[in-house]
Amino acid sequence: MDEKTIALEKIKKTVTENPVVLYMKGTPQFPQCGFSGRAAQVLKGCGVEKFVAVNVLEDQGAYEYLKFYADFPTFPQCYIGGELVGGSDIMLDLYQQGELQKLIAAAGR
Amino acid sequence: MKVTPENVREYILQGLECEHVEVEGDGRHFDAVIVSKAFEGKGMLQQQRLVFQILGDKMEVIHALSMKTFTPQQWAVQA
Repeated sequence: MDEKTIALEKIKKTVTENPVVLYMKGTPQFPQCGFSGRAAQVLKGCGVEKFVAVNVLEDQGAYEYLKFYADFPTFPQCYIGGELVGGSDIMLDLYQQGELQKLIAAAGR
Repeated sequence: MKVTPENVREYILQGLECEHVEVEGDGRHFDAVIVSKAFEGKGMLQQQRLVFQILGDKMEVIHALSMKTFTPQQWAVQA
């Protein structure tokens, strides 16, 4: 299997086995990009105790190939219930509408 | 190659018929407000995918682009 396939398989496994996954630059504690930091804050704002945060600066496969997984080229990317929700702008929008909380609750079950 | 907000605005307008486009940014991170009929009937994610497809390989130099996308009706109500 080539690098891309391996990376995409790993992404698929991660987003399907975990209800809430955030691919970001840096970590929730030490975000390396404003938008990534905002995305982590939104998830905390929803009261999500544990979500999987993947630091794409330390995961070359995710850094290079995540954009092919759900045809979305930028970071951060939030996946809930295995589906791409969007970047920090869509997350914030959904959060303000109370929709993000519903998605998380549904995926948590 | 430094990308300016005006560059990003032009790239968007080259591929998308818009009623309104505003772009701000620091050369790496950009925030855009885009109003287009092409967004009608699409969810937020699909609307953004459309813009990313139009920007294509320019996304290599535009490291981060956050967007607010509106149809003309949504924009009229919101403005």
